Amino acid sequence: MSTQAQGVNISEEARRWVIATRDPSFDGWDRLSEWLERDPAHLAAYEAALDADEWAAQLLADAPPPASNVIPLRARRRWFLGAGIAASLLAAVGGWIVFQRLDSGEIVTAPGERRTVQLADGSRIVLNGATVVKLDSDDPRHVELASGEALFDVRHDSSHPFVVMAGSTRLVDAGTVFNVIRDGASLDLAVGHGAVIFEPGPREIRLNAGEALHRSSPQAAPVLRRTNPQAVGGWQAGQLQYENASLDQIARDLGRNTGLEVRAGDGIERMRFTGTLTVTGAPEEVFARVGPLLGVTFAPEGAAWKMMPANGSRP
Amino acid sequence: MNQEDQIYGLQQVLLNERGRLLRFLAARGAEDDAEDVFQDLWQRVVAVPIDSIAEPVSYLFRAAENLLRDRRRSNLSRERRQHDWYEARTTAEEVPTGERALIARQRLREVEKVLAALGPRVDRVFRRYRLDGVGQAVIASELGISLSSVEKDLQKAYRALAELKVRLDAE
Repeated sequence: MSTQAQGVNISEEARRWVIATRDPSFDGWDRLSEWLERDPAHLAAYEAALDADEWAAQLLADAPPPASNVIPLRARRRWFLGAGIAASLLAAVGGWIVFQRLDSGEIVTAPGERRTVQLADGSRIVLNGATVVKLDSDDPRHVELASGEALFDVRHDSSHPFVVMAGSTRLVDAGTVFNVIRDGASLDLAVGHGAVIFEPGPREIRLNAGEALHRSSPQAAPVLRRTNPQAVGGWQAGQLQYENASLDQIARDLGRNTGLEVRAGDGIERMRFTGTLTVTGAPEEVFARVGPLLGVTFAPEGAAWKMMPANGSRP
Repeated sequence: MNQEDQIYGLQQVLLNERGRLLRFLAARGAEDDAEDVFQDLWQRVVAVPIDSIAEPVSYLFRAAENLLRDRRRSNLSRERRQHDWYEARTTAEEVPTGERALIARQRLREVEKVLAALGPRVDRVFRRYRLDGVGQAVIASELGISLSSVEKDLQKAYRALAELKVRLDAE
């Protein structure tokens, strides 16, 4: 057999392995190990086949469903309730399925864990650590952010808008990518693409790409700010971008992104920072890297970390 | 069985299968990262009660595979981003988002054309399997065809998409 023909056969074999591993009932892990061990070309072919598969699936997942596959809304709801939730979560790109939660339609990440969930309509939610998102069994385009942070990449459908509830606050998509943080009583919303309507009604606020809002409690007035639309949801890539942000907010963001508790020491709340922090890598690495930029030090305090001004005094 | 036993259940399985899992991780190219990935698995498994998992060993292997794919994906996009960053520094302009979306739409059209050309059954089998996450046996019974027909349909689809990607990457 010529080398080229051999190459094609290996590619075909690799594709069959990629197809097979995707089946929920697949159990040939030892045989796969064996096949991969037999020849380094097998691993290369396997990874190439994986990349091709993910490329195609990502394109399709981002697309609206083709006309022939459109299912009437009523039927779609039932589908979503039963096999639909399981099916749409099984199609999740990377991440874990916490089986016992499927019935209640709750998605939970542990501290420091991230997960991407693809919904049946082609929308996508990326959850940061220690986040709880609840799906509504009656409406696949109605979700609740119970706590934590998530990026919503919503497929726009003006006849059936995507709604995110944060407590009793409604956020309605108008064709968007937006990031929401729910941290205790506070709510933060930043729009990367498109527009979001905050609390539709007489006092609604429409936010376009590059606009953001922070409300420290349900009784407080929302404070608007501009933000870099490209940086919205930047936490996914470990990039946190700030403009004159207070360091106690940054302490909370560091906590959320490292999966550890970061407490703000005295004087931290008076400090401000403008710039971008990279929060990839182990927490100790992150602290060593951001400390000098922020003018703070980090010290362990029990299971948590305390962030303190570096010198006793601060300008 | 109380809560603690349930948590230890899955971790115990992980310990029992450690050898097999490490072998798999090594074969998958994890090498120096294999222990790291194993630790990662260990942490994550704490949150999942064992009695909700029908096949714990299979579950763990699949989780390991997913972890490896996550890592690969984030390494690739980090490299791409670094590459893009360097590109952006040296060139005066970036590709506007509108144009990026246009390219993505064109590629999507190509993918859909390829699937459509293979026939409605192959298209449906592929989408049910890859996007809806339905098992091959279930798809076979849904459509009233044999399991081997489902397998062949999937092989056709994956092959055609792989060839498409090679073609588009060369452009």
